[in-house]
Amino acid sequence: MRPKFITLSRHFVVQSAVISSTHMNILRKTIFLFSLFAVSALIPPASLFAHGALLEYTFTPGITVHALYDTGQPMSEARITVFAPDNPSKPWLTGNSDEDGRFSFIPDLALTGTWSIQARLAGHGAMVHIDLDQDEPAQALQPMAPGFNTGQRWLMAASIIWGCIGTALYFTKRRGRHAHP
Amino acid sequence: MRMFQRPLFGALICCAIILLTMSGQARAGTLQFFANGEELATEGFLAPKLTKDGWTLTFSHIFVNLAEITAYQADPPYDAHKGGPVSAKAQVALEGTHVVDLVMDAGDEPPVLVGEAANAPAGHYNAISWKMAKANGGPLAGYSMVLTGKAEKDGQVVNFQLYSGEERTYRCGEFVGDERKGFLEQGGLADLEMTFHLDHVFGRADKPADDQMNVDALGFAPFSDGAKKHDLKLKGLHIGHAGEGHCSVEWH
Repeated sequence: MRPKFITLSRHFVVQSAVISSTHMNILRKTIFLFSLFAVSALIPPASLFAHGALLEYTFTPGITVHALYDTGQPMSEARITVFAPDNPSKPWLTGNSDEDGRFSFIPDLALTGTWSIQARLAGHGAMVHIDLDQDEPAQALQPMAPGFNTGQRWLMAASIIWGCIGTALYFTKRRGRHAHP
Repeated sequence: MRMFQRPLFGALICCAIILLTMSGQARAGTLQFFANGEELATEGFLAPKLTKDGWTLTFSHIFVNLAEITAYQADPPYDAHKGGPVSAKAQVALEGTHVVDLVMDAGDEPPVLVGEAANAPAGHYNAISWKMAKANGGPLAGYSMVLTGKAEKDGQVVNFQLYSGEERTYRCGEFVGDERKGFLEQGGLADLEMTFHLDHVFGRADKPADDQMNVDALGFAPFSDGAKKHDLKLKGLHIGHAGEGHCSVEWH
């Protein structure tokens, strides 16, 4: 039985800039912000600072185990028991594998050490031990599917651009009022 | 005054040694070793759990001769599929050779206490190995496993005697079952189990015929030709387990 990992956490923080008082600067800033947000919108799941707000996105970690007989036949509906490192004699989670013998769960990352997973079916059983501190190979730390699709990213970018233009127009109008009281 | 200095120094050294020894014992616990033929040994192959070829079996004795029984704090955890020696940070051996009757010694509960090792270092014993050795004397002399009992099918009754003289060593990872075993705390008690799956010898009628265990199993038909002493060839059959966990087998 081989463990399969799908993990982990990444953070991206993009900060906005302060808009200056001159019209040209406003336009430059608008272009800059447009570029910045357009690029950031194309970056996979991210945290965004926009007008002081923080939008944070964190990948959730997970482990998928695949229970198989040594003939390669999947152990369908096998009883799965997960033991956490802090109390290895008591089950932390129980469940059943699917028809393909797979079972997924999200471990508590605060509990570092060896996680043990047991699969049993009709008198046959196996255990696998996963050390989350040491067994996390770099190649296994693949991010999960992106949180936003391309369409959603473009919509976000368009919304941000519209917000920037609106802000620019607001300051332009305000400056005009100050110039002609 | 000076004449008392040496005896006093000696007494202090002795006290220190005794205290160190006592503290060392406090860090240890007792590890028990069980053998288990499960219900198929104590109750037999009864419907619907007949042998793969439809025989009912009840056992009067199942003798096994166990030697070199060793528990390990394996690091890393032992992978029975890969096989090979067990790498351990601590290990405890049960001295001697032990003949166990998985039927008559079982009493009400199938697990049979084989022996225990005191002063075992605390820790998690997550692997076990033992050798099925030929007995040097007694009724089992020259054999590592003997099964006797009665078989029935379609009115035919056979009183069988199956003798295996093969020697092999089982190396198993952690016990797989209803609970995890082998967690030994300071001054505590923990147990490990050597499990024998008889269905790997006789097969099971309640499982598909193409189940790999049934494909490999002998069934009872090869021994059905009357009440005589049969040679039981177990090579290639995985009888030894740790609960439901499989073991690697080294044939000697």
